Amino acid sequence: MAFDVPDGLRYAESHEWIERRDDRFRVGITDFAQDELGDIVFVDLPAEGETVTAEAAFGVVESIKAVSDLYTPVTGTVVTTNDRLSSEPELVNEEPFGDGWLVELTSDDDLEHLLGPEGYRAQI
Amino acid sequence: MSRQRDAPGPAESAVGDGTADGGSPYAASSPSEVAAMLEAVGVDSVEELFDIPEGVRFDGQFDVEGASEQAVIRRLERTLGANDDLTEFLGRGRYAHYVPSVVDTLSLRSEFITSYTQYQPEVAQGFLQALFEYQSMLVELTGLGVANCSMYDAATALGEAALLAARVRSVDGSRVLVPDYVREERRDVLENYVSGTDLSVVSFPTANGQVDPVALDSTLSEDAVAVYAENPTVEGVVEEHLHRVGELAEEYGALFCLGSDPVALSLLQSPAAVGADVVVGDASVLGVGPAYGTSLGMFACDEAYLRQVPGRLVGCSEDSDGARAYTLTLQTREQHIRKERATSNICTNQAWVALRTAIHAASLGPSGLVGLAERCHRLPERVASEFDEIPGVSAPVHDGFHFREFAARVERDASALAADLRADGFAVHVRDEDEIQVCVTDANEHRTDDLVRSVAEAMA
Amino acid sequence: MTDRYEQAVWDDGESDGYEPLLTEKSLARAETDNSDLPDRLTRDALEFPAPSEPELVRHYTRLSQMNYGVDSGPFPLGSCTMKYNPKFTEDVAAMSEAAVHPDRSPATVQGTLTVYHELGEYLAQIGGMDAVSLQPPAGAAGEFAGILVARAYHEHNGDGDSRDEVIVPASAHGTNFASAAMAGYEVVELPAADDGRVDLDALRAATGDSTAALMLTNPNTLGLFERDIEAVADIVHDAGGLLYYDGANLNALLGRARPGDMGFDVMHFNVHKTFATPHGGGGPGAGPIGVSETLAPFLPTPQVRAVDGEYELREPEHSIGKVHGAMGNWLVLLKAHAYISRLGDAGLRDTSAKAVLNANYLAEQIDLEIPFGPFHHEFVASAGETDAAEFAKRMLDYGVHPPTTKWPEIVDEALMTEPTEAESRASLDSLAAAFAAASEAGDSTAPERTAAGRIDQTSAARNPRLSWHDLDP
Repeated sequence: MAFDVPDGLRYAESHEWIERRDDRFRVGITDFAQDELGDIVFVDLPAEGETVTAEAAFGVVESIKAVSDLYTPVTGTVVTTNDRLSSEPELVNEEPFGDGWLVELTSDDDLEHLLGPEGYRAQI
Repeated sequence: MSRQRDAPGPAESAVGDGTADGGSPYAASSPSEVAAMLEAVGVDSVEELFDIPEGVRFDGQFDVEGASEQAVIRRLERTLGANDDLTEFLGRGRYAHYVPSVVDTLSLRSEFITSYTQYQPEVAQGFLQALFEYQSMLVELTGLGVANCSMYDAATALGEAALLAARVRSVDGSRVLVPDYVREERRDVLENYVSGTDLSVVSFPTANGQVDPVALDSTLSEDAVAVYAENPTVEGVVEEHLHRVGELAEEYGALFCLGSDPVALSLLQSPAAVGADVVVGDASVLGVGPAYGTSLGMFACDEAYLRQVPGRLVGCSEDSDGARAYTLTLQTREQHIRKERATSNICTNQAWVALRTAIHAASLGPSGLVGLAERCHRLPERVASEFDEIPGVSAPVHDGFHFREFAARVERDASALAADLRADGFAVHVRDEDEIQVCVTDANEHRTDDLVRSVAEAMA
Repeated sequence: MTDRYEQAVWDDGESDGYEPLLTEKSLARAETDNSDLPDRLTRDALEFPAPSEPELVRHYTRLSQMNYGVDSGPFPLGSCTMKYNPKFTEDVAAMSEAAVHPDRSPATVQGTLTVYHELGEYLAQIGGMDAVSLQPPAGAAGEFAGILVARAYHEHNGDGDSRDEVIVPASAHGTNFASAAMAGYEVVELPAADDGRVDLDALRAATGDSTAALMLTNPNTLGLFERDIEAVADIVHDAGGLLYYDGANLNALLGRARPGDMGFDVMHFNVHKTFATPHGGGGPGAGPIGVSETLAPFLPTPQVRAVDGEYELREPEHSIGKVHGAMGNWLVLLKAHAYISRLGDAGLRDTSAKAVLNANYLAEQIDLEIPFGPFHHEFVASAGETDAAEFAKRMLDYGVHPPTTKWPEIVDEALMTEPTEAESRASLDSLAAAFAAASEAGDSTAPERTAAGRIDQTSAARNPRLSWHDLDP
């Protein structure tokens, strides 16, 4: 099955994607990840202002049959979280790279250590 | 480390004898069926199917002889008949009420009692709906938005409440506050439940059998994750400071956990109205008698804590025909999915008892429930005043209102008094050298005159 | 044959679902101002269903008809041991002499204490253990209690703090992980060897000074006997740890092998599995624990002891305290006592024989791949190309309950199947036919012959409606 792996994003092995948007980074989970999980029913995100550490779990995404930790690809501070997900968790399934984004962070990290689209495609 | 018990006699191979001699009467296959199956599998005897190394094989016998159903029943009747036939005026957390016959008739229907956890909801709509209705009843009785479909008993439900409090409280804390009247056994279980965490259980003083708000205030600190109080208390006292407990808990950021039961909740203050966040207790006061402690842990809480709730939850959904249907839901909280990060390790619960409780509650209806609760208040008040008339007896010990039970002070050794009462066929609690506790409900009301007479004689 | 199955369904057409809710049939309100209590201490009113008795009986009768139990047909859930529940045990449980209050003084309930003591002795023999506590009210509660006993033992020996890990095989029941975590332990997951059994090298690597215990089921969840169990015991004991036995699969071993003889130090029994007490829609069960003599002082309190011809309640010397507010699920324990008394030694041994034969026969009759063997009382087949959960839904239309699905994960699209000794050959054949029918069906809208059609799990979880208060009026 061909999973969507858009260009212009970087990817973590733990199936998160990260996108630089002006002064901040936007993070979500990949098409592969949402497919693995199945219908997502709940997303537990950190509070705005919370600091997060690279590769540490910062939240949880739940489907009916599974629970998956969310890992942040960079260290930084949470600026905003996707409010729509509390009432529309299905956005993560429907638009994992679009309206199903999870959090936006500020960070001093660079993204060099992360996978590019080719690297991630090879992994899945 | 071999602890093989050597029992006399040779080992018997039991397969092939069917049920005729020594086989299990509940293993369906006849000898000829067994023979056919052995052939189909391609072995001569079932022994060949066991892959057990020599060193750990058990060749002994258990010292249990099988018996016919008739013989087992007769033997158990005789054994249990050794129990003294006493009229029990016992409570302190386990209560007897009359259980109407419909509860047995309906709950013992084999489609209910021989069914399993509803992992295939399409064939289990009956039990799922019954549990959904049970949950709903608890929501009505507590005023809180979520109730699970059972825990083991009041003590373990309290343990789970403490763990939930630690999980949801946004500020770290480590103390669970319980009133000093809490039953030792209940506290013991609570302490075991929190023993895998940093939590510790701390007593706060009570006065006249109720929460002393000033003492509670001084015991509370930011460090408290939960405050527990009971209504009625284990001593039968109706708690009059619940609002204050709710206010204090909120002030210090602790969860307010209230212990009660469905009959009490039918009449006494609504937990939601006094700021309770969690309600626990034994719901089997309806549906089952004291049953030597077989219980039903009640657990209800505010919707805010939904995702941290322990135990199974039945929810409403739709089936492929668009019809309303029920199913276990939010299972990702549970052990079979979340393993060591589950909200609880609970799997098997007390579901069948919950079915009985729901049937009993429905058979009473609101006026039956309120009426029963009103009796639970009037009866101990009346009997306490009758006790008080007896020279050398002062009752009730606590000023205030009572529900089902009361304590009485006696100018005699309380144990000796209890022994005299036992000789007359009555069981009461001995609380102290000079204090007994007596529980009166619809179940033993017809013997209260005899009890009072017996106490009077014993005190004379 | 199995094509004629159709589950009853009550659909009154007026409410949204099948059998209406109690509140949809009748709802009444009772005021509380009649009571002698002041208003400030009472609730305002109670709104509650108020059916007449005949209506109440119809309601629950109809609900029961939309429910499938072991008495309805086969229920081959792996590791659940859904065996026949002997009816006479209900009559035993209903004996009025059994219904005493837990605070009765021991001298006045010698009958009850006799049953407790006898059941403890039976279980000790069956498990090869030295002492038993009947207090834990479920298997998971038994695990928790047993791990607390292990913890107390290590604390007593001075290495309670350093031994902070419990090892659990990847294929273990979820309760093992959760119980260890509840007791404050780090859980170390142990992968299986290629043959599906414990990997001794991995075990050696995982054990050490931090090991409090290893939790094992034997036979394991694949139905395989851990042939190297003695070596496993040595490895764990040499590291100073304790060996814990999860009794879920004891039905395979009755009278043939005993955990105590294999080197297990502590175990729990699932009385509602092995000893035939009814599952009651999820419980109650009971999870007594058995321990070696070394661990006996740590058992929950109280223990029933015979002292000068009478039974008394005694607190073990270093007891962990209580794991239940009273003495456990007494009514369930009483039924188990009756079952063991009925079967006796020969009946118990026949049980394991027939359980293992039935599983092997059923496996022979079905066409699915069973990657791991030799199995005993249960086997794990693979649904192959079909999703196991989908496969299970198809089976429902043939009047059988499907096996456990998707566990253990070591088998793709796992179907963990345990028929138990209670199934006759004809019943096993019909079960096999249901497997075959499910294999042949394409993607379907199953189940179609059950009371409800396939239920939307996603919407149930996304929009939790957990009481009738959450429903639209």
